[in-house]
Amino acid sequence: MTDAVIQVEGLVKDHVSHFLRKRFRALDGLDLTVQKGEAFGLLGPNGAGKTTTQKLLLGLTRPTAGTIKVLGKPAGDKSALERIGFLPENPYFYAYLTAQEFLDFFAQLFDLNGKQKSDRIKELLELVSLTEAKDRPIRKFSKGMMQRLGVAQALINDPDLVFFDEPNSGLDPIGRRDIRQIMLLLKQKGKTIFFNSHMLPDVKDICDRVGILHRGKMIGQNRISDICKSGTYQELEDYFMNMINSAEADYRKTGSVTPYHIEREAQGGPR
Amino acid sequence: MDLGDATGRTSRVMVQENEKLGNAVGIPKEPGHDKQLSDLVHKPQVGFTRSLGTLIAIALNTFRETVRDRVLYAIVVFALVATLAGLVFGSLSVDQDVRVLEDLGLFTITIFGGIISVFVGTNLVFKEIDRKTIFLIVTKPINRWEFIAGKFLGLALCVFVTTYSMGLFLIGITSLQMGSLGHAMPILLALSFIYAEMLLVIGLATFFSTFATPLMSMVFTISLWICGHLSNSLLSLGKLSTQASVQVITQAIYYTIPDLASLTLLRSQLVDGGAVPPNLLGAIVVYIVAYCILLIAGASLIAERKEFN
Ligand SMILES: Nc1ncnc2c1ncn2[C@@H]1O[C@H](COP(=O)(O)OP(=O)(O)OP(=O)(O)O)[C@@H](O)[C@H]1O
Ligand SMILES: [Mg+2]
Repeated sequence: MTDAVIQVEGLVKDHVSHFLRKRFRALDGLDLTVQKGEAFGLLGPNGAGKTTTQKLLLGLTRPTAGTIKVLGKPAGDKSALERIGFLPENPYFYAYLTAQEFLDFFAQLFDLNGKQKSDRIKELLELVSLTEAKDRPIRKFSKGMMQRLGVAQALINDPDLVFFDEPNSGLDPIGRRDIRQIMLLLKQKGKTIFFNSHMLPDVKDICDRVGILHRGKMIGQNRISDICKSGTYQELEDYFMNMINSAEADYRKTGSVTPYHIEREAQGGPR
Repeated sequence: MDLGDATGRTSRVMVQENEKLGNAVGIPKEPGHDKQLSDLVHKPQVGFTRSLGTLIAIALNTFRETVRDRVLYAIVVFALVATLAGLVFGSLSVDQDVRVLEDLGLFTITIFGGIISVFVGTNLVFKEIDRKTIFLIVTKPINRWEFIAGKFLGLALCVFVTTYSMGLFLIGITSLQMGSLGHAMPILLALSFIYAEMLLVIGLATFFSTFATPLMSMVFTISLWICGHLSNSLLSLGKLSTQASVQVITQAIYYTIPDLASLTLLRSQLVDGGAVPPNLLGAIVVYIVAYCILLIAGASLIAERKEFN
């Protein structure tokens, strides 16, 4: 298991409300391993805990319990962040900057400079088809353009591991295809991809493996090759629905969701 | 040509067939067909030079943020109008005293520089958290103190530019009034004292904004700003009391809040042409720098422990 890029054990996250100190368990005992070069898709209904998971893995929030190792380091470790790219959910950027300045700023935070920096920015603008809009202030960008810029920003350091939170939401068909192709390209280059999505056709195309999160618990994990035997995304949809439905039935009966046990299905790993 | 039902069904089936092969209409079959991205061969530095680079990047970005904000221009224009009003007021006074204009001008600069420092300063870190741009920053390989210090320096640079441009404007009109540059030097001296005061205000605002809402931070900052000017009176007030505990408390407050009263006193001595020993000036610089570093360190400690939801 030396090749595990993400290793999570017994992860619990409680959100405590300011008033009344009420606790809400957003993640409940999550175990997860993602191997090097693997594309892992975290699926689940709205509010399942997907974004919560990403924030914990990146060190934006601290776990209530459990351990996290990302690239062999604790979550949020500086030397690991050097090799990580992150696209947050509904990214909001510095409205007063132009796309070019925006990328320039993040390039500087990775200590890129000179020609290497300008070449990288140029290449990324080209990759996400924003070259024409590079001198426009971000305040005038459409949602899809922001999303593209977010992807460019996440790739500025040529990361080994990317976290994408709903990279394909709010995009036109061209944008969705572009992002899918970028993710396939990253996969081809041996990068590890961890992403949340509701777009099952894209998930089917990109992922090696998916996990289904429901009410803070992982209720199913499997390889796409095993789920989509005949190669259609409908099979993934069926898998998703079955898992959710049986977990919900469980929940209604016992008042809690039975988490998935890793022995039930194949262990993770690239194909 | 038959455009009937059969044709429609055929094409739909074709699309589905294509999708099965992962090759919907118009999508290249090869993954990442027309997309290319080269590898980056880059070994980032660590240590002091890296921190410096990060600080500069964040400071310049903050500077950009503030100077591209229209509110800043509104405040500066307002300040200039107020100074011009002072000019009119000055010319109307019987003895045409240029000192009235100078004092009024410096006061205006302090107030408006302070307004910028307080309003922008209390929003700096808060806005990044509120708009979630902080997610992108703290997931980069930087230290949180670099973020806080960078924000502070960026605003300090902006206030430097605005304070000194208003100051140059004041020098311009006093010189016109007097027909000589005689007041340029004292005004420049006074400006450095005002700027030192502004640095303390920015430090306070940055510190509070890491844990309080902008409104609360504003209240805290402005209160301390005013208390700082009254610090001497506070000490004398304590001495009036016979109770030791009151004296201890007033002394504690006196030593914690920025000593702006002494700063102002020194400023007027200097501007009036009085000599101030150079080691006292040195002590002031050390005091200001140390105070700001302590505030930034405190803010960084808070930011270090913070979760970003
Ligand atoms: N800061 C917070 N305070 C309190 N509760 C929170 C907070 N953030 C998230 N939650 C709760 O935690 C649960 C998981 O939220 P999360 O954002 O992880 O969902 P998600 O799976 O990403 O959903 P979506 O598909 O809608 O993006 C939700 O019920 C949400 O209400
Ligand atoms: Mg989410």
